[in-house]
Amino acid sequence: MSYLETISIEDTANVAKIEPKGRSRFITLSINGERHEITVKPRKMLIEVIRDTVGLTGTKGSCSSGTCGACTVLLSGRPVLSCITLAVECDGKEIRTVEDLAENGKLSALQEAFLDQGAVQCGFCTPGMLMSATALLERHSKPSLAQIKKGLEGNLCRCTGYNAIVDAVLQVSGQGVTPVMK
Amino acid sequence: MILYDFDYERPNTLQEATALLRQTEGKARLLAGGTDLLPNMRVQVLKPTMLISLGAITPRPPQAELDGSIRIDALTRLADLENSEFVRREIPMLAESAHVVGGNQIRQVATLGGNLCQETRCLYLNQEHDYQFTAPCYKRNGDCCYPFPGNKPGTCWSVYMSDTAPALIALSANVDIIGEAGVRTVPAETLFTGNSLEPLWLARTEIISSVVVPPIPTGFGWGYHKSTIRGGLEFAMANIAVALWLENDRKTCAGARIVVGAVSEGPLRALATEKSLVGQVLNADLLWKAADDASNEINPLPHHGFTRNYLNENIRVYLRRTLITAFERAYGMDA
Ligand SMILES: Cc1cc2nc3c(=O)[nH]c(=O)nc-3n(C[C@H](O)[C@H](O)[C@H](O)COP(=O)(O)OP(=O)(O)OC[C@H]3O[C@@H](n4cnc5c(N)ncnc54)[C@H](O)[C@@H]3O)c2cc1C
Ligand code: SF4
Ligand code: FES
Ligand code: FES
Repeated sequence: MSYLETISIEDTANVAKIEPKGRSRFITLSINGERHEITVKPRKMLIEVIRDTVGLTGTKGSCSSGTCGACTVLLSGRPVLSCITLAVECDGKEIRTVEDLAENGKLSALQEAFLDQGAVQCGFCTPGMLMSATALLERHSKPSLAQIKKGLEGNLCRCTGYNAIVDAVLQVSGQGVTPVMK
Repeated sequence: MILYDFDYERPNTLQEATALLRQTEGKARLLAGGTDLLPNMRVQVLKPTMLISLGAITPRPPQAELDGSIRIDALTRLADLENSEFVRREIPMLAESAHVVGGNQIRQVATLGGNLCQETRCLYLNQEHDYQFTAPCYKRNGDCCYPFPGNKPGTCWSVYMSDTAPALIALSANVDIIGEAGVRTVPAETLFTGNSLEPLWLARTEIISSVVVPPIPTGFGWGYHKSTIRGGLEFAMANIAVALWLENDRKTCAGARIVVGAVSEGPLRALATEKSLVGQVLNADLLWKAADDASNEINPLPHHGFTRNYLNENIRVYLRRTLITAFERAYGMDA
């Protein structure tokens, strides 16, 4: 899959079809507030468009099957798995990725809390964790432990053992957890 | 990523969607949340030539009908079911069963209709077939079965793992189905063929439009349990849905429905045990015995590495707890 393939305009004259043509569609996405007009094959996943077409590589892909949460982005405010979401399904919608969290190069309070708690080790799960946690905090400003666990249940981490991540969410929501790393 | 091309349509109504299904002679598939369909297309267990997206159609919110039943649009997302105050108050068992499906990101897009129409699963089926287990099994039009090599040709024992279906069956829910001849209504229970090759009695041109839960009887109690190893982002090893309702004396059983899912080609009911409970004055001993009887009545298929014995015991233990919970709720002890 290349950038060129994604943007190529298909031969639309040839409409009589027996075999599926997978004719490309023109879609508009708002990604982190920026408007993107692209032509994609129906089979393209949102993660392919975000990483390969738009070039935002903060979003990670791992299992490609919905089982790890690394590819989590916010679609109209909901945390979704970009590896099992067709890009054409997102036409006209607003997408936020991990790159949206920092402002003018300054990490968000949630990202700082992850650093404070040592909630990042290899970092591969982190963008997905951050997006799930962002969605959770937008719904509940002071989530309970049960809500945090349920909100992050779709994100696997092989390194941290999760406690540090849960603590980071408790810290940023002002629930009595203090930084351990600084 | 999906490695083959398919066409994509996005109709504005379910009627347009059925027309498209007819035109494509069943080679198309509906795309609801896509959380079951797209992973299956990735591993090419399913290879529809067209996807008909239901994404442009907004589901109606759950609502009470004049007769007291509750209608839920099949396009309702599971997250909206589990978080709906109305559903949690009126049919908490359905909210609970939606709450335990997959992980949060899955439930944000997965729909109730898609949950009911999900493909069956087995350890060998739902993975890539290009470097191991390459020879297609019966379910993929081949001539072998990996976990059950002794199976007769055409006998597939992949299991149906919906978490909401057992709850809907315990609630005696009906489903409305839109097809060529208009709308038909059938009990959710009768959707299942018992054949994992084609698990649902649903024509390729039909669409489930809504689920209707009839009025809850007085003196009603429910219990729901999903057995898993991790407790999140995981399919069930077994799931159990129990409905019990009592006579006015709040002791005598007026009716019972005991449903076990994820261990067979479709959800199973312990009909004999249900019948044996009706008319009895319920107590803990009796419910424990009912759990033993029901677990003997249910004959689980070993699946995903769980043996039949293990599943039997798991179902027995959790049926005891679920039946007791249902009784306590019916009696009003949880209030
Ligand atoms: C990591 C992971 C974990 C999961 N865990 C669980 C779990 O614990 N429990 C569980 O039950 N499921 C689980 N699933 C499976 C799936 O996510 C759910 O079953 C989900 O509810 C499917 O709904 P959907 O809207 O995404 O369906 P889709 O994937 O969009 O559709 C599934 C099938 O149903 C058909 N269909 C959809 N809507 C209709 C309709 N209205 N009428 C007729 N046919 C229709 C589609 O054509 C397709 O064949 C999991 C999936 C993943 C990837
Ligand atoms: S149980 Fe069914 S799906 Fe699994 S290998 Fe056997 S035939 Fe295939
Ligand atoms: S890469 Fe999307 S869930 Fe794992
Ligand atoms: S930090 Fe390595 S997977 Fe989470």
